[in-house]
Amino acid sequence: MAGMPRSRNLFWPAAGASVFAVTVIALVCWHDSSRAVVPAPPNRPITAQERNYVTSNSCRACHPGNYASWHTSFHRTMTQVATAATLIPDARNVELSFAGRQYNLERRGDSIFASDRSLGEKEYGSPHQVVLLTGSHTIQILWTETGQGRTLEQFPFAYLIAEKMWAPVTQTFLMPPETKEAYSIGAWNGACMDCHVTQGVSKFVEGNKWDTRVAEFGIACEACHGEGRDHIAANRNPFRRWKLHLTKSADPTIANASRMKGPESALACGQCHSIWAFNGMDEKLDWNRHGGKFRPGKEDLVQRFVVQPNEQDHGTQKDFIRQTEPDFFRNRFWGDGMIRVTGRELNGVQESPCFKGGNFSCVSCHEMHPTTTTRVALNTWARSDQLIPKMESDQACLQCHKEMAARLTSHTHHDLDSSGSRCYNCHMPHTTFGLLRAMRSHQVSSPNVRESLDYGRPNACNLCHLDQTLSWTADKLRAWYRQPVPELSDDDRTISAGVQWLVKGDAGQRALLAWGMGWEPAQRVSGRDWLYPFLSYSLLDPYAAVRFDAWKSLQTLPGFSDFEFTYTADADALGAAVKQGYQKWWNEVRPGNPNFDPKTALDPEGRFQQDVFSRLRRERDDKPIVLAE
Amino acid sequence: MQLADSVNNSRANQFALNYSSRHLRFGWWALAIYVCLGIVLEMMHGFKIGWYLDVGNETRRLMFSLGHFHGTMLALVNIAAGLTIRSVDDFKLRPSVSFALIWAAILLPGGFLLGGFFTYDGDPGTAVWLVPIGALLMLYGVGRVALDLTQTARDAAPSRPKQ
Repeated sequence: MAGMPRSRNLFWPAAGASVFAVTVIALVCWHDSSRAVVPAPPNRPITAQERNYVTSNSCRACHPGNYASWHTSFHRTMTQVATAATLIPDARNVELSFAGRQYNLERRGDSIFASDRSLGEKEYGSPHQVVLLTGSHTIQILWTETGQGRTLEQFPFAYLIAEKMWAPVTQTFLMPPETKEAYSIGAWNGACMDCHVTQGVSKFVEGNKWDTRVAEFGIACEACHGEGRDHIAANRNPFRRWKLHLTKSADPTIANASRMKGPESALACGQCHSIWAFNGMDEKLDWNRHGGKFRPGKEDLVQRFVVQPNEQDHGTQKDFIRQTEPDFFRNRFWGDGMIRVTGRELNGVQESPCFKGGNFSCVSCHEMHPTTTTRVALNTWARSDQLIPKMESDQACLQCHKEMAARLTSHTHHDLDSSGSRCYNCHMPHTTFGLLRAMRSHQVSSPNVRESLDYGRPNACNLCHLDQTLSWTADKLRAWYRQPVPELSDDDRTISAGVQWLVKGDAGQRALLAWGMGWEPAQRVSGRDWLYPFLSYSLLDPYAAVRFDAWKSLQTLPGFSDFEFTYTADADALGAAVKQGYQKWWNEVRPGNPNFDPKTALDPEGRFQQDVFSRLRRERDDKPIVLAE
Repeated sequence: MQLADSVNNSRANQFALNYSSRHLRFGWWALAIYVCLGIVLEMMHGFKIGWYLDVGNETRRLMFSLGHFHGTMLALVNIAAGLTIRSVDDFKLRPSVSFALIWAAILLPGGFLLGGFFTYDGDPGTAVWLVPIGALLMLYGVGRVALDLTQTARDAAPSRPKQ
């Protein structure tokens, strides 16, 4: 009985302490939860719940390996919210000038701000926050707030990642030198985001104001697999999962390109990696208001269609395009309908003979989720075009054309270890251009001289044998493959095809050749000595993209690996750099006893054959061209 | 009668001691195995074995860690059971409980470990279905010991003298 009063005495203090403790815990929780809810920024596109999209965060727990490979890929970082961490260059007090204006970038904490002024003005204008970034592999482009809702404006400079330099955005694409603006205000909201985010909804408001929302920035899981909500709900049931595991059957609640037929599988990638257009204005408006309706696994793009110039489909729409944008096809396709810009590989794949079999698709050679998930392996994979192991070799073709392995040299007429015996080099030559470099065509074709004569597309033979004429190529193709020899001009018989394309071709051809002269197999086959004067000459090309590739190719040549050149500089600086480069070659690198081949339009000493060179230069195709990658 | 009681008590004690020895032997051997497994896991960390550490093998790492943890803990539970038999007067371990505790220490960590060998991305292999069986055995074994100990204590408590 003696203990009872003591218990009573302790009850109220204990109760009070408990209430106090519970109150403190509740307040802490409330404080934490209020901190967790960050209001959506009003000055940029935001992530929001779109239909049944659940974002990659929901996929990670069950698919850690696939999440890891995606996380390493450049698809993830295609679009990022701009912070000091996601912006690759250091943005502390960057000063740039272009087209009569000066630009300044500065960091404030984790944010980046851009401001500009006219040349000669003392003060910069009010700063605009850099809110989104595009790209993280080759080029990074910055987008700033505009003060009009979530509408974005492009910062006029982009950062070239490998070169560690800023360049005007207009000089990171192949476009005419007089172009001052690559993308207008709102272009990101109205067009770029169509393929640079996962399920974006532009949401046009009025004037130039957009209220853009996306399911996820970057190209995330659901861009290729479709909405994940139903898949997650269904697979909460472990018995269902094990049934799928043990029977190895497909899960109908999610799309998987590796289990689809060729055309559907390719379209999952080609929804973005193609030249596409809207079926009509209604579909375009629907897309802007509600987002895309295509889901991976479908047989067509629903509101859109893949534009193939030579196919009979969508005639009305293609006629409309020809009327409203006369250069649409020329800026994207060679004259025979083969795609000439990069990033649009489906157009090439669809027109390939391999595709007609119904099983060939992007995932025949590329993989989105490699099985080895070490950091090193994933980084290598991400930087190797996401190829399946061995698919960088003949194995890519031999997986189907097995019989060819036994008669490879009799087919190629080149030694087994020659670059001329590599399937890619003849059937997927570097005839598409984008991101300041030539890339392999994804339309599997066989080289012929006609494609060069009729459409100007460099053929695979002369992209390697740069020093040879079209006549030489025609003779070889007739002897080896019984191809008829077309009618050829005197130049085609006497001047190397590479020189002709580089000097008198259009800007797209010149860019391919400026890049091609730095391609190691071509240098090995064609010799390096004669390339210097042509690449030096190309450093003065009116198109920045050509100058860039000429510079990068020059750096691959002996004695020029440290050749400094600012391809974005003004004409005087370019001229001085070219003179310096040419003199360096003439005095330091040129062979002691030169005997240059006359087909290269050089005299035996290495000087340009002025009559030939000047004529070719006069004949240059100067039609403005934009390679709309 | 006294002789018979004595013989019965002796048999019961011998029976209990057999169970105790069995659980102590099993527990210590299991502890040795699962502790060794822990060392193997640490070595895989030390040598950065991708098969265990790669981000794509997250499920395997989790399964092996769970197997190691549950195996070690259930080994200790078996040792505790063996010591409980010896230290608590009149406590008898039911044969079914003995069976449950020993097989729980095999099936539950074994399910995790085998399930970790062959995984389906985020799901462990089919052997993981041994885990719920082991978990039920563990639940039964531990719960039954707790109940029986409580009952033993009640039976042994002297009746309260009337005031």
